[in-house]
Amino acid sequence: MRIMLRVTLALLMSMVMLGAALAEDRKADVFGEFEGAPMYTVLEPGDIPAIEDPQFVSGDDADAQMLPEEPVIGIVLNGQARAYSMWQLDHHEIVDDVLGGIPIAVNW
Amino acid sequence: MVHDRRVDDKTLTFIVSGKLWRNSMIMQDRETGTLWSHVTGEALHGELTGRHLKILPSTQSSWIKWKSKHPETLVLAKDEEISASHYANYFDDPDRTGIFRSVWLKDRLPGKELVHGLQMGDESLAVTDARLRRAGSLDLELGGKVIHLEVSSDGGARAFLKDDTAAEWPLRTAYWFAWSSFFPLTEVLD
Repeated sequence: MRIMLRVTLALLMSMVMLGAALAEDRKADVFGEFEGAPMYTVLEPGDIPAIEDPQFVSGDDADAQMLPEEPVIGIVLNGQARAYSMWQLDHHEIVDDVLGGIPIAVNW
Repeated sequence: MVHDRRVDDKTLTFIVSGKLWRNSMIMQDRETGTLWSHVTGEALHGELTGRHLKILPSTQSSWIKWKSKHPETLVLAKDEEISASHYANYFDDPDRTGIFRSVWLKDRLPGKELVHGLQMGDESLAVTDARLRRAGSLDLELGGKVIHLEVSSDGGARAFLKDDTAAEWPLRTAYWFAWSSFFPLTEVLD
């Protein structure tokens, strides 16, 4: 997992550096133009792994993995509440979940 | 942002496409390969082009505030130890706004100003978080409707239609640079 994390970090760092270079000379791999704005291909699909089989812990158990001021995205659907750490979403960007019987995508 | 994954009779599974548009992530669904903007929920390329995912109301808050309001909440389990945002330097640097240079209205607000964005048809309005926190709540006119925006008890912001339905209205909380690159004609309340 640590290696995965390092690889992801390296990829993201290179995205940022690539971005800085692109801002200068615009030699991006442009996939197409949509509504007047270019879409760039930066990574392959799935290089940043979405969470497709999310696992959950109770709020009390979560205290062991969360800091009090850690930012979360929270949602309540049909009386069921869930929280997703935004620091965790930084690494995955999308969670495919089902909450209160409704299939949802949490993304950041 | 939280989207409903259903389109017609299909339930879609989203992955990270590796593409960027207007400085934001493009999602791809496994079922049709269609590319979707995660900001607008619109399908931009592929079989489902032109379709929209429904945006569901959600809140950005801190863990402690969310838990005190929703003690029964479940929490996404961490598969590794994550104790800080790895974008920390990015968020702290006021000059770094997005990976690609984009057109946003620098003269109206600082790029990293947090805004709550509302959209109704062709009209859009961004209310700065600072303005909302000062007021506590605001009644806003947009697209012929009145929307009540307030700081919610869980520490985030929520919006409701001020009519008989009192339906919750989806808010997009974002940095100004991101909001304004999607909605360049937006009105601003700061």
